Amino acid sequence: MTYETLFDETTRRKLEQLTLIATRVRAGAMKGERRSTKRGTSIEFADYRDYAHGDDLRRLDWNIYGRLERPFIKLLEDEEDLAVHLLIDTSASMGWPQEGERNQNKFLYAQRLIAGLANISLASNDRLMLSTLGEGKPTQFGPVRGRGYSLTMLNFVSGLRTHGVTDLNATIKDYAVRGGRPGLCFIISDLFSPTGFQDGLNMLLGKGHEVGILHILSPDEIAPPLNGDLRLIDIETGQSQEVSLDGGMRDLYMKRFQAWRDEIEAICIKRGVHYITVETSSAWEKVILFNLRQLGAVK
Amino acid sequence: MAFLTPLAFLGGLLIVPIVLLYMLRLRRQEVMVSTAFLWQQIVRDSEANTPWQRLRRNILLLLQIIILTLLVLALARPYIIVPAVSTGQIELLLDASASMNATDMPGGGTRFDEAKRQALGIIDTLNSSDTVTIIRVATVPEVIAPATTDANTLRAAITSAQPSQGAADWVAALTLASADAINARDFNLVIIGDGGLGNAQGLPGVPGKVQYIPVGQSGENQAITALATRALPGKVTELFAQITNYGRQAANVIFAVRIDGDLFSANRYTVPAGNSLPVISTQLPENFSTLEATITTSTSSSTPDYLPIDNQAWAISGNSGSQRALLLSNNNLFLDQVLRSLPSINSYRGDITRPLPNETYDLYILDSWLPVDGHLPNGDLLFVNPPRSTAYFTVGSETTDTGNIQIQADDPRMAFVDFANVNILKFRTLSNVQWADSLIQADGGPLLLMGERDGRQIGILTFDIHDSDLPLQITWPILMANMLEWFTPQDLVASTEGLKVGQSLSIRPPFEATNLQIILPDNQVKDLPIERQTIVFADTAQTGIYRVNVRNGEQTIETSAFAVNLFAPEESTLEPRPTISLSGNIVTAAVHDEIGQQEFWPLAVLLGLLVLMIEWIVYQRRMRTRTILRPIINRQRARSWAR
Repeated sequence: MTYETLFDETTRRKLEQLTLIATRVRAGAMKGERRSTKRGTSIEFADYRDYAHGDDLRRLDWNIYGRLERPFIKLLEDEEDLAVHLLIDTSASMGWPQEGERNQNKFLYAQRLIAGLANISLASNDRLMLSTLGEGKPTQFGPVRGRGYSLTMLNFVSGLRTHGVTDLNATIKDYAVRGGRPGLCFIISDLFSPTGFQDGLNMLLGKGHEVGILHILSPDEIAPPLNGDLRLIDIETGQSQEVSLDGGMRDLYMKRFQAWRDEIEAICIKRGVHYITVETSSAWEKVILFNLRQLGAVK
Repeated sequence: MAFLTPLAFLGGLLIVPIVLLYMLRLRRQEVMVSTAFLWQQIVRDSEANTPWQRLRRNILLLLQIIILTLLVLALARPYIIVPAVSTGQIELLLDASASMNATDMPGGGTRFDEAKRQALGIIDTLNSSDTVTIIRVATVPEVIAPATTDANTLRAAITSAQPSQGAADWVAALTLASADAINARDFNLVIIGDGGLGNAQGLPGVPGKVQYIPVGQSGENQAITALATRALPGKVTELFAQITNYGRQAANVIFAVRIDGDLFSANRYTVPAGNSLPVISTQLPENFSTLEATITTSTSSSTPDYLPIDNQAWAISGNSGSQRALLLSNNNLFLDQVLRSLPSINSYRGDITRPLPNETYDLYILDSWLPVDGHLPNGDLLFVNPPRSTAYFTVGSETTDTGNIQIQADDPRMAFVDFANVNILKFRTLSNVQWADSLIQADGGPLLLMGERDGRQIGILTFDIHDSDLPLQITWPILMANMLEWFTPQDLVASTEGLKVGQSLSIRPPFEATNLQIILPDNQVKDLPIERQTIVFADTAQTGIYRVNVRNGEQTIETSAFAVNLFAPEESTLEPRPTISLSGNIVTAAVHDEIGQQEFWPLAVLLGLLVLMIEWIVYQRRMRTRTILRPIINRQRARSWAR
């Protein structure tokens, strides 16, 4: 899959107008383009840095350019950067559904979401870290900053694949330990982990991250179109379960599924975690342009 | 309640395998899912793997056990005891005569419908060992269900039976039924009909017990009981019809005549109760082919007419039938006798001392005589030993050169004619006869000439038959029959006076015909190959006009028609008879004095089917398919998302 298939140019331009917002802002170590909440030092010159492709030309110091014929971006004292951590679940269950409409594939949906968020982050000159939550050693991208890394980031995202079993608790904990400076952290996953994810979430929060969970689900997970006497085989773990599926059993499943989602939502609310359930039958741009805006995570 | 086949209850043991099937672990289809941990939780919670718990809650199993129970009950054939008309070996005679078409039953139903209902009632109360034979009594009685105990076969035979349009042959039907009584025990004869047995009432020795179930309520009926046309040469065609009122009230009827499909006349008549009214008309047109007469009850008349089938009659334009021949001879007994012996011709003797009569004839036979004035009559001519010349030939001298007689054997007029032993003393030589075929030739000249001239057919025997031993030979009537067949060919259809339903008809196709096509009144077409000289057609079960096409290959070379009418007073007399007389005994209406069995297994089957439908609905509701659910769920999700 190439990065062009993740989203088109129009969507990319729409996303560049946005900024990721952390309500509990973590001040950055470097100067950035994000206005600080600190008072008294605003609009003070701080430093210059080299112009990078994609930087806002309004911030170019045209006087220096006139003298030296080299582009420099003027950094101001009152701006700070934000560390953005985007974690994508690459377990085998994310590759569902394997058949049917491709756009409803959870992992493709997650790739589009993470690429969209990363694009916003790079456009805002935030400190971006991408990491996979999967079996074995996690694949990581970053930390990077600036629009110049957009193409590299897209190539990285489009190159990700699903495989194996993911212990969400363990992988999230692992990232919390090695993820560096706390910031805004989005976890994109179906949360299908029998061991749960709460311990990992607690660890992230303990490290000072502001966490958002985008819970990706496909329609046939919410209302399975199955009937008859079946042996259900877990695509991720390979475990099987015999079920005689009829109308009553299906209703039971749907109730249990809803209870599981409600339970996750309650955990998130209790911990101040942004939580959005996303169904792959809906448009992925809507999650960023509407749902995250509604939550105040994007402006 | 008792059961005819209680062993069928053993089928109830099938409940055991059904329950076992539910208890057995199923061979399940493997399906991949994104996660199974939620399913595992559900199954753990509901303990769905416990077989006894599943059985307790499974309504499908319960419904299937109910279905099996009902089917087993049906197979056991439960019955209750009911009073019956007859039991044992039953011979059921179902009257299917024309009178059974009468619509005097409640609701406008026919008598035959009521008879079938009564017959089905007998079948419904049969004992398991009773056998029934059903004979449909029509023009030709037929066994529509041979002796059987199978009620379904009997019901199907009764249901599919139809009334006929003719009189019933009760003698044949009772004889047929009696034949089954030989070596039979508990033989019962059940007659269902309106009691018109005709001449069968005096039939001796009907065996067994005779039961009679009368059908019919009213005798009101008006009918056309005669219809004929007659056309004599030189006279107008006459119509003769007769309308009969068989009811107990005077009836006003409209008598309508249609000629070749067009309404010709319609007149109103009042027919007194139990009387007939002749209708004669001399106003018919000269040339027509078919005539249809109908009577309809006048709107002002309150007298009902319950039998429509005898309200119509048909006739074919009739001439007198046979051809007319005038023999002008001086007492030639040989000729006179042979002409009288031929059925296809009406012969008349003329007086040669008087002028020719004014009446016209089809054929004039001039034996050793010619009119004095030399004026030949209009018509076909057969000259025998002509004394002098006419416009058609010139008579020469007499000769005795009669040796070496040759016959033109390939001519149909000479079929079976043999002159080998015929001796002729002398004959007259003729000239100027190039127009004629010399069919018999001697050394001295032709002995028989036949041909057509001036639009008439002419034959000439050139010798006096008294001067030969021809009249003493067997070939003499053959020769004359052949010659007269050529002069006056017989009608294609032997009867122009019409037939009654069920009567047979002789058809004499011409020599060159290869097949016959007969179009029945209901436009059904019958093709008959011509395998002999005379063909007998007996499929006259319908009333109406039958059209006959004589064909040579694909080409129609001659057409004719004949009419078939009911004209059966015993059928038109609808007055129901509460009793019948048979073998000198009076048989009254049957009573239910026997013990019968009424099975009700169909009810159990019906209930079983009903429960089966419920089971199917329950199953479908449980197993809703993906195609039904998916769009609905997607729409619901999209709406909640938009909100």
